[in-house]
Amino acid sequence: MTQRILWLSSFLFGVSSLVAQSKDTLSGSGAVTVFTATKTERLLSNIAVPVQIIGQKTIQQAGSLRLSDILSEQTGLFMTNGFGTGVSMQGLNPDYTLILIDGEPLIGRTSGVLDLKRITVGNIKQIEIVRGPSSSLYGSEAMAGVINIITDKSRKNSLSVGTRYGSYNTADINLKGSIRTNRINYQGFGNYYRTDGFSIRPNSRERSVAPIERITQQHHLGYRFNDQTNLSLNIRYNHETIKNNITVTNNGNAINSTGLEKNDDLNATLQLSHQFNQRIKNATRLYGTQFKSLQELVSDNGLPYTDAFKQQFARIENQTDVQIGKALELNIGGGYIHETASSTRYDNSESVKTNRIGYAYIQSELKASEKLTLIGGARYDHNELFAAAFSPKLALQYKLNPKFSVKASIGRGFKAPDFRQLYLNFTNTAAGSYSVFGSVEAQKIINELNRIGQISSLEPAFYQLNNLQPEYSTGLNIGVSFQNTQWHITANLFRNNIDNLIDSRLVAYKTGGAQIFSYLNVKNAFTQGIETDIKFKYNARWSFAAGYQFLLTGDQADINAINEGKVFTRDANGFSRRMSRSEYVGLPNRSKHMANFKVQYDYQDFFANLRTLYRSRWATTDTDGNGLFNSNDAFADGYVQLNLSVGKTLQNGLNIQTGIDNLFNYTDVLNLPNLPGRIVYMSLSYNFFNKTSK
Amino acid sequence: MKQMIFVLGVAVSLVACSKDDNSGSNAVVETITVKDLSADTIIGITPGAPPTGGFPFGAGRYTFYSLETNKIVPASDSASNKWDLAFRGTTIATNSGNSGPGGGGAFVFVGLFNDLKTIPADSTFRIDNAPSAFAIPTGSNRAWYVYDGINQLVNPIPGRVLVIRTATGKYAKVEILNYYKGGTTPAPTASDAIKLTTQRYYTFRYSFQPNGTKTF
Repeated sequence: MTQRILWLSSFLFGVSSLVAQSKDTLSGSGAVTVFTATKTERLLSNIAVPVQIIGQKTIQQAGSLRLSDILSEQTGLFMTNGFGTGVSMQGLNPDYTLILIDGEPLIGRTSGVLDLKRITVGNIKQIEIVRGPSSSLYGSEAMAGVINIITDKSRKNSLSVGTRYGSYNTADINLKGSIRTNRINYQGFGNYYRTDGFSIRPNSRERSVAPIERITQQHHLGYRFNDQTNLSLNIRYNHETIKNNITVTNNGNAINSTGLEKNDDLNATLQLSHQFNQRIKNATRLYGTQFKSLQELVSDNGLPYTDAFKQQFARIENQTDVQIGKALELNIGGGYIHETASSTRYDNSESVKTNRIGYAYIQSELKASEKLTLIGGARYDHNELFAAAFSPKLALQYKLNPKFSVKASIGRGFKAPDFRQLYLNFTNTAAGSYSVFGSVEAQKIINELNRIGQISSLEPAFYQLNNLQPEYSTGLNIGVSFQNTQWHITANLFRNNIDNLIDSRLVAYKTGGAQIFSYLNVKNAFTQGIETDIKFKYNARWSFAAGYQFLLTGDQADINAINEGKVFTRDANGFSRRMSRSEYVGLPNRSKHMANFKVQYDYQDFFANLRTLYRSRWATTDTDGNGLFNSNDAFADGYVQLNLSVGKTLQNGLNIQTGIDNLFNYTDVLNLPNLPGRIVYMSLSYNFFNKTSK
Repeated sequence: MKQMIFVLGVAVSLVACSKDDNSGSNAVVETITVKDLSADTIIGITPGAPPTGGFPFGAGRYTFYSLETNKIVPASDSASNKWDLAFRGTTIATNSGNSGPGGGGAFVFVGLFNDLKTIPADSTFRIDNAPSAFAIPTGSNRAWYVYDGINQLVNPIPGRVLVIRTATGKYAKVEILNYYKGGTTPAPTASDAIKLTTQRYYTFRYSFQPNGTKTF
């Protein structure tokens, strides 16, 4: 897996003296093209919304294995723990970032989190990160932004193998090859990953990262009818097996369980594209994906427990791109989605829940002048299960001169209520027998329980139970960028207003005191801040990159209550006192400051880099009991993580790379259970063809 | 009953009181802080797994307290007007309704202890209807505490004042300050054993108006 880095780096070095701007991400965009921002291929330098590209070389030189590894090193992104590893963008929860592979959405979220560790980076050409609401093109979930993984589809015959081995018995093996004829091209990729997992809690049989085995295969088959018409088929299959030793301690009473979790992830895309003439292009995409999860748990007390979840998503989409004159381009698309889910956590594991969505979108891009580009777009989603969503977006880019440009965009994003929020029917017998019911189920079940005398009280929230509405956000992004041969500086101001947030609320007590929760559209929130990236290429060998995000979050209702003097905390004596606005820290688990710094050295077939990541402290628990987060609450400490990596390409096609992640061995048992201590690894890869350069 | 008396005897010796001057206009009413009033502390855990097992339990007895005399009242006097509040776990009973023969009652005032100078004339005092409806509602986030389920800790909600009508129809205001021994909530990282053994010790402050008016 590292072979590409190395030949790519030597390749880049080799040509950097020939062209003013290499394709190196450090030195700017160059001729890098982006698909995600406009759903059409565009030069990065012409995009009106904040876009970031992570290239293959960057991924490989960082020694990344899983998608979360490389994303965690990007400005303003941080990885969340719980239900897998999710990504938070612009301060929003992982639920609100859409994850795509080659433009098609991944499904299989647990509690709103898509586990990024399911995705290997061994076959990625580039990762495109679009910030700000993009529902005008992509529909649900694209509230904070979109992360699109573009897989590598080699244009020539190749075969390579890559291996890596490191701490915690973590092994990773990639096999990649492609064959090309005049009409047919095929590329295959396979990845095997395994780890023993680790426990940073001393003497614990429970592992914060469990022993995992993953096998991923990807196949791409392309057929060229002629210069105008192409057909392609992509298939990806991922299987993972996770072994869990769980100890549930309830008031000092420990119950040991041994669990086995199997997740299967299958995606298939068939695309037919046709270019009618110079002005009109059309693509039809048929996409089907399935996520299947099975958890089995055997406990000391002999009670076996099975949890199964299956989700399917099928979509047909057609997009037509029309060029009108020199200045105007229209993209018109529409599609139909059929989505189903079934789970042992719903009323009946045999009953399949269905949602059907029809949608249409249009985007127009007007090059008003050499300097000014305007984009307007909108999408309409008609849902079977809940209210329709309308998502408009406006964006502009103004190039003051070849070096300076200004971007501004405003858009609306939405996230449809998921199946869990609608249909969950779950009672946790292992922890106090509390129940969570989806909004469709809640009233029905509670009324029935009430009728047979099983409800002791109904809470005020019960009477607010209603049909769930989509969650909405309005996002504003204003950015500037400066670029010359050595420097590339971008800064982006953002503000997201999120309405209708769905949250769980206590709606009733059963006789005996067990609590019943359900989901309601109850909260509003905002996030705002600035993201800055600075890249500096000192000379052909040395380059530097720094990133910083300042983030403020909060709930306007909380702020109003504070300003009205209705929020209290405690003084040193434990006596209540009014809380002031300055003590409010906003949403939990958000750091006000996040920064990264990278030093990179490239010389011929050798490279070395040092990557530093910083996160300031973040609120974790409301310990003063006032229902919001303020400086009197519990915080996780801020921390610095240092990663190192060096690599070399040998003349015979062999590449070698070694690295250390988390050099300072920083761990936080309570707040960062997913962060292992120091990791040392080594990787070897071999190219059977194309040994020296492209 | 012997066990109960023993528990109470220990509790009396643990209860420490401090008095400080009231800064209000009426210098008669003083504010008293009661520390470490034990309220049916944990003596075991039901064997087995939840929902039937695994739960901590105490002896199941209330600790009766007189706000007027600032003393624990023996359980043998539970059927009298001698007590005003009774504590068991997170439940606080008043000497009213089906909890006791007194004419007590209570409601929860949202605001600061010192800001409550006069009980509003239109206030409604609730009376106990155990076990489903106490004058001071039971349960997390309903009256005086919120339960942090992740860390398994009970946190008193700041800005909540329990306005009490005593057994003899006088008025008092109470602010619960802490639920753990020594008046300090264990750290979230503390062991389960510590969280269990140090809970159910109330620290609270109160003002009692002996002259029967609603002014403090």
